[in-house]
Amino acid sequence: MKTIIRLAGIMILLWAAGLADNAQESQADHAVVSFSNPAKPGTVEVDISEGSITVRGYEGKDVVIDARWRERVLTKEEQEQEAALAEGGEELDQEELARKKAQAEKAKGMKTIEVESMGLTIEEEENVIQVNAEEGKRAVDLVIQVPFSTSLRLSCRDDERGVTVDRVDGEIEVETSDGPIVLTNVSGPVVADSSDGEIKAVFGKVVPGKPMSFSTMEGDVDITLPFDVKASLKMKTDEGKIFTDFDVQLKPSQQKKEEDERKEGGGYRVSFEKVTLGLINGGGVEIQITTYEGNVYIRKAK
Amino acid sequence: MKCEQIREKSADYLAGELDEKSLSEVRVHLAHCPACREELESLSAIWTKLGVLPKEQPSGSLRIRFYEMLEAYKKGTEKDRDKISLGQTLSYWFGRLMPRRPAYQIALSLILIAAGLGGGFLLSVRSRSAARTEVTGLRGEVDDMRRIVAVSLLKQASPSERLMGVSWSARIDRPGDEIIQTLLETLNRDPNVNVRLAAVDALYLFYDHPEVKAGLIHSLAGQTSPLVQLSLINLLVEIRERRAVEALERLIQDEKLNPKVKKRAELGLTQLS
Repeated sequence: MKTIIRLAGIMILLWAAGLADNAQESQADHAVVSFSNPAKPGTVEVDISEGSITVRGYEGKDVVIDARWRERVLTKEEQEQEAALAEGGEELDQEELARKKAQAEKAKGMKTIEVESMGLTIEEEENVIQVNAEEGKRAVDLVIQVPFSTSLRLSCRDDERGVTVDRVDGEIEVETSDGPIVLTNVSGPVVADSSDGEIKAVFGKVVPGKPMSFSTMEGDVDITLPFDVKASLKMKTDEGKIFTDFDVQLKPSQQKKEEDERKEGGGYRVSFEKVTLGLINGGGVEIQITTYEGNVYIRKAK
Repeated sequence: MKCEQIREKSADYLAGELDEKSLSEVRVHLAHCPACREELESLSAIWTKLGVLPKEQPSGSLRIRFYEMLEAYKKGTEKDRDKISLGQTLSYWFGRLMPRRPAYQIALSLILIAAGLGGGFLLSVRSRSAARTEVTGLRGEVDDMRRIVAVSLLKQASPSERLMGVSWSARIDRPGDEIIQTLLETLNRDPNVNVRLAAVDALYLFYDHPEVKAGLIHSLAGQTSPLVQLSLINLLVEIRERRAVEALERLIQDEKLNPKVKKRAELGLTQLS
């Protein structure tokens, strides 16, 4: 079964026109989507280029999506153009300047109504709900409520606000560029990557068996695990430090390379990879952590 | 029932071997205990996965080898029986052959001891090498099993399962071309940065394999994630791969390159030259 809900156009347009006096307030979309097989845990996939994603587990069976569109922010290019125009438009080419001036003349004495299409698409197929925001539209803040056991695949680029998940037990895959990743009361295997953002994850419990991985270039990785967790940590950081209040049993790295060229008149050399292996409570779930500049914090839940 | 008791019964529950009473007890408990439910789900997931693996069938040659061994063993015991009867007649002849003078007796016994030691040593060397081929054979079978699991896991939609696939392949003693190819493909194509990073680590273990070094150098140009680029540069510098110089020089030319990666690549160049 395939349900497509396009939340665009006329409704919003009418609503916006009705509230034209109050055009500063941002606009909201609301949708309730059910899984085709609610008895089985479903998956929610979200991919947006600008904005933030917040997902919360709740006791319902449907997925409830609220989208709040932010006021349109001018792109850098547009800002430069505006500034150039305000200064008399010397830096703009003449044709462009003439057009802008003509447009400004026409709009004299009137006010702006935001009439942009929202471009949010929600699809359901085989127990997977996909939420996509059209590229190049305004930034959107999504708040999504899902059944506890739902799995998530979230991708959010170019924003400071990032991804927040609370009380979801399914498998979680998250990816951001700048924004932070904050996960609380999660238990499923988490695979998270951020280029510049911080990754914070607080586990209520840890599902045994499935490996996890966290990686960030510039941010810190901050993980809180239950005190009795059995985990095998594999941590790599170039410039960061590693902190923990667990009793971690360090293992020598097995990734050792020996080169013996003495017979051929060369030298002897042993190199170790910059990896720290540590066992918590004897080892268990594999947790891989990679940072470049960021620190690593492994906390024991109080 | 307590969680602990439920978990003891979960294997029987999945196999459908519980009686009515315990079955309903387990169901009641599962209905309001999410932790047990999850435990059971992951257990059943493992079971299904094990079910997917092809059943190990003994090969035709195994049967032949077994009968050969049995035959050899039978022959061996028959020989022993012959030896006893032979031995009696031989001892008579030995008695007659034994030199009379004690000095010669000692000399002869010394020679016999030396011959016995030498023979024993030769035999032990042979049986040791036989045991070694057997162990190698077993190791090969374990490798095959790991290979199947690794390749099938690397094709899963879940990144966590693909990570598991990478760590299974890292446990293979002698990876064949298939595993190397699959790992290189994971490094180049996997949509998840974490899985690609794990693939770099796994390939590090196999850098002696002829295709690995070339594959790693080739991969450097196609990577978009700065973290993966950094970890590849670290690895290439670590293994002193001088052929990587050209690839690093080209990488530095890229204007969109992350400044930190650029710095690392430049440092890498000085380390390699």
